[in-house]
Amino acid sequence: MAVVGGVVGGAIGYVLGAAGIMAIRAAVGARAWEVESVTAGAWLVAVSGWLLGVGAWKYWVSPWFGRPERTYATHGWRRYFDFDTDHKVIGIQYLVTFLVMFFMAGLFAMFMRWELMRTGEDVVNADQYNAIMSLHGTMMVFVAVAATVGAFGNYVVPIMIGADDMAFPKLNALSYWLVPPVLVALTVSFAFGGYDTGWTGYAPLSVQSDVGGLFYNLAFFTLGLSSIIGGLNIIVTVVTMRAKGMTWGRLPIFVWSIFITAMMSLIFTQFVALAMLMVILDRTAGMVFFDPASGGEPLLYQHIFWFYSHPAVYIMILPAFGITLEMISHFSRKPLFAYKWAVGALLGIMGLSSVVWAHHMFTSGMAESLRKPFLASTELISIPTGVIFLSALGTLWLGKIKFTVPMLFALGVLFNFLIGGITGVFLADVPVDIQLQDTYFVVAHFHYVILGGGIFGLFGGIYYWFPKMTGKMMNSGLGKLHFWAIMLGFNVTFLPMFVIGLQGMNRRIADYTPDLEPGNKMVSMGAFFLGSSFLIFIYNFIYSWARGETAPANPWGARTLEWQIPSPPPHENFEVPPIILADPYGYGEADSLHADMGIGTLEEAKDSERV
Amino acid sequence: MLSAVASDEETGKNRNRVVIVGLVWLVATILGEIAAVAITWEPFGNSREARISDEAFDLLVYMSVPVMVFVLVMMAYVVIVDRDRGENVDGAPVRTNSMFIGGWMVISTALALVAIVTPGFSGLDELAAEPDADLIIDVKGERWNWTYTYPDSGVETQGTLMIPVDTRILFRITSTDVIHSFWIPAFRIKQDAVPGLVTETMVTAEEVGQFSEFDELRVQCAELCGVGHARMWTGVEVVSEAEFEAWIGASQ
Ligand SMILES: [Cu+2]
Ligand SMILES: [Cu+2]
Repeated sequence: MAVVGGVVGGAIGYVLGAAGIMAIRAAVGARAWEVESVTAGAWLVAVSGWLLGVGAWKYWVSPWFGRPERTYATHGWRRYFDFDTDHKVIGIQYLVTFLVMFFMAGLFAMFMRWELMRTGEDVVNADQYNAIMSLHGTMMVFVAVAATVGAFGNYVVPIMIGADDMAFPKLNALSYWLVPPVLVALTVSFAFGGYDTGWTGYAPLSVQSDVGGLFYNLAFFTLGLSSIIGGLNIIVTVVTMRAKGMTWGRLPIFVWSIFITAMMSLIFTQFVALAMLMVILDRTAGMVFFDPASGGEPLLYQHIFWFYSHPAVYIMILPAFGITLEMISHFSRKPLFAYKWAVGALLGIMGLSSVVWAHHMFTSGMAESLRKPFLASTELISIPTGVIFLSALGTLWLGKIKFTVPMLFALGVLFNFLIGGITGVFLADVPVDIQLQDTYFVVAHFHYVILGGGIFGLFGGIYYWFPKMTGKMMNSGLGKLHFWAIMLGFNVTFLPMFVIGLQGMNRRIADYTPDLEPGNKMVSMGAFFLGSSFLIFIYNFIYSWARGETAPANPWGARTLEWQIPSPPPHENFEVPPIILADPYGYGEADSLHADMGIGTLEEAKDSERV
Repeated sequence: MLSAVASDEETGKNRNRVVIVGLVWLVATILGEIAAVAITWEPFGNSREARISDEAFDLLVYMSVPVMVFVLVMMAYVVIVDRDRGENVDGAPVRTNSMFIGGWMVISTALALVAIVTPGFSGLDELAAEPDADLIIDVKGERWNWTYTYPDSGVETQGTLMIPVDTRILFRITSTDVIHSFWIPAFRIKQDAVPGLVTETMVTAEEVGQFSEFDELRVQCAELCGVGHARMWTGVEVVSEAEFEAWIGASQ
């Protein structure tokens, strides 16, 4: 299996890299062994070794030397442990890997809430709390950024546009196989005692933190590389691989959301990679980008970091908007309302997202003259975001709504994001933000956006596409139970957080003043309930995959292309390339057909094609 | 002829739906606004700046109520009325409605602009309106202590932050190691302490009071700064001007 080759390659790479750095250090007269600079250098070589071992050698390097390209031809479950270029295999690899990361990070959250149930440091000490909190945040951000795009952007988007694979299948596999090293780096960091900087890793704290912090920088850098490659691939795929007749105006809204997300990944991720690299160089090479004593500038880090990390919020939420609108149309049995406005809104959010980053820095000490422009640009985002609601509500109105499990999650996204969005307006308002910045009000707000919006969307997508991906149905009774449990648990956990934030509880603390204890008790109880609700999901997911009922090709009666082919789809997706006749939302419209699937009526379809 | 009748009926039905949603929205909004006024959203506040911030917060609450209620009423209505009752048919193929879209765009844009101008811009202008300080206090954040220096008298303390009431105070804030944040919840002021930089914020406390009475009267570090972050706080005591002078005299 490729994984074995990868591990061997990674180990060899680490040794070679470490030897190289130590040789250079010895040559310039420094002490050969210094854990951070040796590890940082060795990491890059180790990741290269891992990639070569896992498949890059067979797929790229060996052909350069004139040898035939060798590919893995494994079948069944073994495929998922190989450098497989089928977008459907890669989609499932992404999904399972990030679910594992999600549950690890969720477990850390349980420890945090256990500690915060009472005042005092009674479960873990402040140092351990900081490590757990930082790792929880980092892992959850990684999941929110990459899980939906990785899983469904890969699995569903090529099928939805009528393609047989992504534009660059090998590159696609490469972007997935960069993810396991991320998980390894975070785990190793924890073994080294973790880091105490939160997921934001502000300099100069991050420059001074223990060696665990270096692994945070390396993990974020590596994930960034994966995101950039993945984003590029999705953009080229959507631009060049659309089936005949799949015009931009006929693209399913989910494809639009992933396409725009991919553009944001490609444009903005470089900046966070740069921020990480600068901290790594400060730590290991004696550079002083963020050290004021030597002419560096601490605020520089925040500007570069948020220039990515605000758009990253939309990288997390746009795919969920896409899933939500997609499912609301199919399960209301109605055309997507105001389709062009919704597409325009997604584009508008992307544009505005690049000029709002400093709303995270209203109290940072940046020039006061910058407060008004960033206040204004941030409040303006509420307009395109509102249009998503306009489209959703207009679609639901006069529909024939079917309350399937994925539809419940779609409605959950609307409810939760309504609260997350409106509280965002409060935080954009500087006189209010001065008080609420860095309090639990902010923590509650971004959990409503990222967990209540983004992750609810991810789980809606899992319930929706599980039959297509596995060929098995998930149990819908357990699915509904999970939805109501998670909806209740989520709101009981995070609504009171707004209150304790207003009361004056600041974030990232293991201990607080006694007046905050009742609110924190309630939050913790909600969190434990929320956490245990996922056990229902895990059981349902595993049991259904192994023993679930066989899924029909189109269990939901939906009109997009992925439901017009078998579950799971054959390797090449379509027997004959489909020809697209109209957008997929023609519910209730006489004689409306999304696509001619090409079996027998190709000539007729060509005649009737309206491009 | 038949179809004309049917479409009249449809229009009438649609009008009834709109009227019902509108009425429910109106009633729920009024109830919501009553609740919004009745609830005290903010904790104990004690400064000119707190009044500005709290006013802004309240205004945003009043503005959000109709918006939030509208979306929730719409959602509740369609969930109850527009559900598939086993008929297994498609909904009405409505793709657009210029009244709904136009109204939505105008209202949401107007709301966004109102939120920018007031309380946003006007609140900021108010905060900046009194730039002349009567008293300067230098604040230094250092893991994990706050040091307060009164440059006029040379008094320096790491204990309670002493402040005279009704006095315009300028805090000059810096750090010697990592970024901290100087936050006094009761005053609604927060300003990061950045190494290599002196940041400023101003406040006028309006009533005497101390930490033992109000948990909000404390200086709390609000920016993660390492293991001692949660414990990096001191009390604040607002005293009369005479008491303040006496305290300075005794500390010199
Ligand atoms: Cu932001
Ligand atoms: Cu701190």
